[in-house]
Amino acid sequence: MAISAAASAEQYNYDIVRKFTIMSLVWGVLGMAVGLYIACELAWPFLNFDIPEITFGRLRPVHTTLVIFGFGGCALFATSYYVVQRTCQARLLSDALADFTFWGWNLGLLLGIVSYMAGMSQGREYAEFEWPIDLAIAVVWVVYFFNFITVIVRRSQPHIYVANWFYLGFILATAILHIFNNLAVPISLTKSYSLFAGVQDAMTQWWYGHNAVGFFLTAAFLGMMYYFVPKQAGRPVYSYRLSIIHFWALIFLYMWVGAHHLHWTALPDWVSTLAATFSVLLLLPSWGGMINGVMTLSGAWDKLRTDPVMLFLITSLSFYGMSTFEGPLMSLKSVNALSHYTDWTIGHVHSGALGWVAMVTFGSFYHLVPRLWDTKMYSQRLIYVHFWLATIGIVLYITAMWVAGIGQGLMLRAFDDYGNLAYSFVESVVFLHKPYAWRALGGAFFVSGIVLMCFNVAMTVLAARREQAALEAKLAAKLART
Amino acid sequence: MRHEHIEVNSGLMIALVLAVISIGGLVEIVPLFYINETIEKVDGVRPYTPLELRGRDIYVREGCYLCHSQMVRPFRDEWLRYGHYSLAAESKYDHPFQWGSKRTGPDLARVGNKYSDQWQVQHLLKPTSVVPESIMPNYPWLLHNDLSYADVGDRMRALRRTGVPYSLTQAEYEANVKTFGKDVADKLDISQAQDNLLKQARGRNYDGLPNRITEMDALVAYLQVLGTMVDFSKYDEGYFAEFR
Amino acid sequence: MFDWFQWFTRLDNSKMLSLVLFLSAFCGILVYVFGNRRRGQRLESYKNIPFLDDTPPPPGAEAKPSKVKDNEQHDD
Ligand code: HEC
Ligand code: HEM
Ligand code: HEM
Repeated sequence: MAISAAASAEQYNYDIVRKFTIMSLVWGVLGMAVGLYIACELAWPFLNFDIPEITFGRLRPVHTTLVIFGFGGCALFATSYYVVQRTCQARLLSDALADFTFWGWNLGLLLGIVSYMAGMSQGREYAEFEWPIDLAIAVVWVVYFFNFITVIVRRSQPHIYVANWFYLGFILATAILHIFNNLAVPISLTKSYSLFAGVQDAMTQWWYGHNAVGFFLTAAFLGMMYYFVPKQAGRPVYSYRLSIIHFWALIFLYMWVGAHHLHWTALPDWVSTLAATFSVLLLLPSWGGMINGVMTLSGAWDKLRTDPVMLFLITSLSFYGMSTFEGPLMSLKSVNALSHYTDWTIGHVHSGALGWVAMVTFGSFYHLVPRLWDTKMYSQRLIYVHFWLATIGIVLYITAMWVAGIGQGLMLRAFDDYGNLAYSFVESVVFLHKPYAWRALGGAFFVSGIVLMCFNVAMTVLAARREQAALEAKLAAKLART
Repeated sequence: MRHEHIEVNSGLMIALVLAVISIGGLVEIVPLFYINETIEKVDGVRPYTPLELRGRDIYVREGCYLCHSQMVRPFRDEWLRYGHYSLAAESKYDHPFQWGSKRTGPDLARVGNKYSDQWQVQHLLKPTSVVPESIMPNYPWLLHNDLSYADVGDRMRALRRTGVPYSLTQAEYEANVKTFGKDVADKLDISQAQDNLLKQARGRNYDGLPNRITEMDALVAYLQVLGTMVDFSKYDEGYFAEFR
Repeated sequence: MFDWFQWFTRLDNSKMLSLVLFLSAFCGILVYVFGNRRRGQRLESYKNIPFLDDTPPPPGAEAKPSKVKDNEQHDD
């Protein structure tokens, strides 16, 4: 055992994968705890405590940044480095450059969230970092691209496996989006104004914003799916040809749909109609990908009964299917008229973010951790418990948000018999209290799930260290005897 | 042509991926900069005065945009609740735009002149004191913090570089007089920025503290100008529809 | 310089254009991927790549990667 681990440690750089995996869990716990806290602030506003640094407006970017770029980002670094090395059978070119991405990314994030709490923000969702951090991140990203592509170039496999295409698409798209959306004129180290204004700025921001969703939270995690689902199932992906179509259709369509975040605004109609059309088309590759993933298990369905990791992966695909059905629905202008600006959007976000992004990450990590530390998971049962905590949390979260969003949407457009507005805005705020409390409860379930996972992983790593130490002691004793 | 060429050659694959992902963005974004109909021609929309600009910075700093939109949509309920739907022209000097994506609180695009300055101050200090059911946070520090305005000229210069018509030269000033009239043009003059800021804050005393210039002065000045620049009685409805 | 872009902003034009472009590209890919049985088999063989690395190939034993290479050679 120890020998094969040593061999593969030489063959591949696992150290970097371990580091990113751990940081992903750390940011995950922090980011989701902050999510829970802001959920509670909305239900019980006294929690703002009149402390500027923790008021809702400053903490919300901390939440979104930590979960998307901290939890999600580190998970993608970890898995992409793992997958690309293993499917290309080549080692990362430089351990130092891999470490550079680790420190650069994580220090950048740390600096970023501290700066948010201090009130430094570009005021654009998911791109709130001020320009010095943006620049630093751009440098890290270029190095990441270099690390990734040099493995591909040096592969001993003639073919590039499909998971790597998704990762590659994600790296390239993120670079373009990040650069164009953050064009700004600085006035000091901590403040800048965006280069574009009004409509053009809005369109650029949501071109970025939606593709942050499309490439960061979807394409890249599909890369993860195309490696870890087959590996965990012990059988190859259902159809490789379907995955080819899936890839090209997905990356092509995604870039068109940003304007569905701007329906009925001052954006010209033709843009939003175009975006709505492409959003509906996007259903097809999305579901194609989901089916491809789920059908990988065909003929081995009993795994769902015996393997909790599989349960995570397949559930994540179901939520992926659900949110990519809900998304095109919300892109229809008539539906969006109701859903936009309400908690329905928030519910959609989290059915994607918790159900798809977080669940597929958990499943992949449960597969990855024993292999990285060359041991078994500390407890299989705790994986089951985590699965149920997470699932109950998600269901509570999204049902509460459907009630809140559709309820508020209907209240705000209701008229009385005389044609006056039936409700004032604050009446809808009062109505939201209960769903907000339920959402917070769902969040608490989800957070306790990931905390449990951290415990499980920590115990696993500790046990692995002990095993390793025992083995080494034995080996030393043997050597001493001879 | 075989798909293998793409799969086997990472350079070609990168090029193709880049091409495929560029199409959508190019077709949708680039025309917005070149089409005249993207932004309506209306009178009255002007860049923010130095004080309003500082208020806007505070609005961004506190993340108000995460609970408030600034974009009224063309529906009857929104018309009754907020007023005329928002025009593209009304945010043409907004760097960055603050249309928002979530209304935890009501839309603010037309909140200017809806309430008195006193109400706004009281509401920001403790929203529940005027709207008991509110879930908006208190912002007491806005009144404690003195406004820092030493760099307001730099801020205007930066915006000028993005194309906002703050004037630095005599020629620019005169152009502003032509477009906006003398009163407004004076306020857009970068060399007078600090004086203008003080004049506006002392003149109206938004925060109710005559001896101090606080962040509250700036934020309320900004809120009170939102959505008030265009005089809608001058246009008939059909006119704006042409631009949608 | 970008005046020709105006053409795209007419929904009638852009609708047709995107339909034609997208549909033909899509059909092209479909035909390519599913049209030829041997090519199909070759493409499908790549799905085993994640399983090739289960035991790190000891020096000299190049059996697995070269199988994929063989596939490359006899094609269409
Ligand atoms: C947690 C979300 C939240 C944040 C953050 C927030 N608000 Fe509010 N705001 C509300 C809610 C809810 C209401 C409706 C109840 C009320 O009037 O207090 C409201 C109402 C308002 C109103 C009255 C609008 C009207 O037409 O009656 C103004 C003005 C306002 N907010 C300004 C601000 C400013 C300025 C900031 C940033 C400093 C801010 N808000 C931050 C939630 C928020
Ligand atoms: C424990 C779990 C979580 C809780 C309790 C939680 C809670 C929240 C809350 C309260 C908001 C603000 C909603 C509002 O403004 O009304 C929010 C926004 C958001 N969260 Fe979470 N969150 C959690 C996990 C996650 C995860 C794992 C992700 C992503 C991977 C995520 C991504 C987002 C995004 C993108 C937004 C912004 C949505 C928008 O602007 O429309 N969240 N979350
Ligand atoms: C076919 C796929 C999808 C389509 C067409 C789609 C469409 C939409 C639409 C119409 C909105 C509402 C915009 C608004 O009214 O403001 C939205 C919001 C959002 N969606 Fe999706 N969605 C899809 C999949 C996903 C997935 C898989 C995720 C994963 C996490 C996701 C994350 C988000 C986020 C974060 C927002 C909120 C953005 C914001 O307002 O801050 N979407 N999406």
